[in-house]
Amino acid sequence: MSASTLTGTGLLTRVDLRRDRVVIASWTGVLLLMVVASAATAGTLYPDEATRVRAVHALNDSPAIVALYGPILDPNSIGELAMTKLTVLYAVFVAMLLIVVVRRHTRVEEESGRTELVGGTAVGRDAPLAAALVEAVGLSLTLGGLAALGNAACGLDVAGSVAFGALWAGTGLVAAGIAALTSQISASARTCAAWAAGTIAVLYVLRAVGDTGPQWLSWLSPFGWNTQVRAWSGTRWWLLLAYPALAAVLVGVATVLRAHRDLGSGLVAARPGPAEGSPRLADALALALKVHATAIVLWSVGVGVLGVVFGAITPGLSDLLDSLGMQDLIAKLGGYFLAAILSVVSVVISYFAVTVVAHTGRDEEDGRTEVVLATTTSRSRWFGASVVVALGGTAWLLVEMGIALWIGYVAASGPGVGNLLAAALAWVPAAWVTAALAALCFSVGPRWTAVGWVWPGAFITFEIVGELLEAPRWVLDLSPYQHVPAVPAEPWDWPAETGLAVVAALILVLAWWRFRARDIG
Amino acid sequence: MAVIETRGLVKRFGRVRALDGLDLVVPPGEIHGFLGPNGAGKSTTIRVLLGLLRKDGGEVRMLGGDPWRDAAALHRRLAYVPGEVSLWPNLTGGEAIDLLARLRGGLDPKRRAELLERFDLDPTKRGRSYSKGNRQKVALVAALASDVELLLLDEPTTGLDPLMEEVFTEYVDTFRHRGGTVLLSSHVLAEVERLCDRVSIIRNGKVVESGTLADLRHLTRTSIDVVLAGPPDGLAQLEGIHDFDVDGDRVRFQVETDAVDRAIGALHRIGIRTLIAQPPTLEELFLRHYGDRIRPGSAPEAE
Repeated sequence: MSASTLTGTGLLTRVDLRRDRVVIASWTGVLLLMVVASAATAGTLYPDEATRVRAVHALNDSPAIVALYGPILDPNSIGELAMTKLTVLYAVFVAMLLIVVVRRHTRVEEESGRTELVGGTAVGRDAPLAAALVEAVGLSLTLGGLAALGNAACGLDVAGSVAFGALWAGTGLVAAGIAALTSQISASARTCAAWAAGTIAVLYVLRAVGDTGPQWLSWLSPFGWNTQVRAWSGTRWWLLLAYPALAAVLVGVATVLRAHRDLGSGLVAARPGPAEGSPRLADALALALKVHATAIVLWSVGVGVLGVVFGAITPGLSDLLDSLGMQDLIAKLGGYFLAAILSVVSVVISYFAVTVVAHTGRDEEDGRTEVVLATTTSRSRWFGASVVVALGGTAWLLVEMGIALWIGYVAASGPGVGNLLAAALAWVPAAWVTAALAALCFSVGPRWTAVGWVWPGAFITFEIVGELLEAPRWVLDLSPYQHVPAVPAEPWDWPAETGLAVVAALILVLAWWRFRARDIG
Repeated sequence: MAVIETRGLVKRFGRVRALDGLDLVVPPGEIHGFLGPNGAGKSTTIRVLLGLLRKDGGEVRMLGGDPWRDAAALHRRLAYVPGEVSLWPNLTGGEAIDLLARLRGGLDPKRRAELLERFDLDPTKRGRSYSKGNRQKVALVAALASDVELLLLDEPTTGLDPLMEEVFTEYVDTFRHRGGTVLLSSHVLAEVERLCDRVSIIRNGKVVESGTLADLRHLTRTSIDVVLAGPPDGLAQLEGIHDFDVDGDRVRFQVETDAVDRAIGALHRIGIRTLIAQPPTLEELFLRHYGDRIRPGSAPEAE
């Protein structure tokens, strides 16, 4: 980078910020709400030291919870207990926000040709990347600062609040570096997104395995550092330097790679493909499957690995469920082990459906839908193909998760676990409701498709914040995931499952009816 | 029965009337030029004909059916090429051609191969690496290789170089000889002039002029450039003569179509040394309807 290749960075940063104002404001708002709700209710949830220590032991004794949230290093710290879920798990959402923002202004712009348009003006070659990174650094620091303020305002230790804010900001910086680097890999924005998400998943799993097994593995992952910083007592302030250092290295490598490739190309040159289409590629569903094939494979690999890992670190389930005292505590903290894992995973897998629907929205905005609808493909077929892939893919991924959990569990602890396939299937109707809502947003108009991304996050926010703030029952019930029985700890619940499936079907019919009647484009 | 027939077609986008009582008739076997600048309503009309947009008023029939209700069935008999072609990033050009043709009901493999060669298109490249012109060629090959009755072409040559435009013209011509009907929206006047049997000029969502080129020329003036044997006395006063200009024995003027005979008669009486008569070009026809927008000093119309 040099001064001339950076010309226009300031201007581009302002444009980027303007385009991101909604996504940044809502995402930051939700994360901050989580922080404040968790910090404010810790005092009432754990009124004395004895409850706290017991809760911490219950948490630390459960490898599944440790794998999900990371261990609690100081049982006496109320701050650390209050921030259990936020230190590692919600830091993943911080990372996701930064990846979305950086990728959106680098590879997505390049693929759409807008970078070329901008590059033709008095804007330097490195300016788009630099502008995205300036925004990312500002966003990370703001997010960290707000988290620190929120914690301190709720009465948690001030130094600890600052350290916690710093580790969130650090996570953001590293994620921005990962996004900058992965955006150089492929000419396809989707492939780059898969690389970024895959990297986050690997780092998260590395930490999960390290926290429950060989500890050095945790030190290889920035998510592991989040716990090891020890924000709330005996803080390792020096470790906070590791985040910007790693981010700088990632950005440095990204810049070098960027300088050695042409605009619009990836590191891997695009290979020529078949000159003729396969005879099977002859209807809307085949097209949708072909378009999403890579995504389905990548999701399947991710879900499979995650399932086996979590299954393997789940302890002898029956023993734990027998000791009643412990069961109470764990229930208080968010459900039973496998059900807890599935409750998080089902929300994440719902996002697969959202990506499929979002892609259909982009097809329409780009003009591919109109080309297909100008053939004998009817609107119902086109809509149906997207819905089948979204719903079918979600169901497949959950089923796969159930099987993978079972394989991991049986491999590590031997037989004796309940029906994990049923446990996973229990979440399918709820995930379908989310998918149907995304389809409904799309059916209003292609520009509304983006609203589909809100639902899974909104539902999980309802649940967590609602529970912490003891909101009325009906607020919690707004989330479809709230109605899912915690199989295998609880029995299968036919009325709830059927109800969710019916709701999903009704929403889909409404969406289909609306899509058939509206203008395309 | 006409292949395309709209009467008083209205389409609103919010408060904007994109189509404001559009009348368009395209009989079978005709190449119909659809002329107008960007934003006049050409694409909106085609998208209503494709059943992508729902009309807000008026009548519309296409291939004997209702384009909204019978969309899928009618589409078996037509092919559409949009002005801005967007392909699937991970499908090759060849895959996209075959996909579109199969979604429509198949193509002629011999003609596909021939078109690929004539258009000089590499079908093994992925959608994202094609230039605008090459994306357009993919859509054109898919359309021209299909056996259909009607082509709806929305500014199909904007990304093509002149050589490729030549190939395009040739194939559209062949398509007509096989009995096909074409609605060709364009603002490339030369292309329309070469190909089209009839043209409709659209402005602000209305057809302001429609007919054969000969019909339309009839409504305008012929330019005469003549060197005379004697003084052009009384010529300027003749009815139907405009922009009269004398330069020694050379006289230039414009004459309305139904005054040509009278004017030539008068010239003949004076004595003609040389005579050049030029029919109005399509540009001039076009300018008659849009001249106010491009005349210097006048503000462009907001659309």
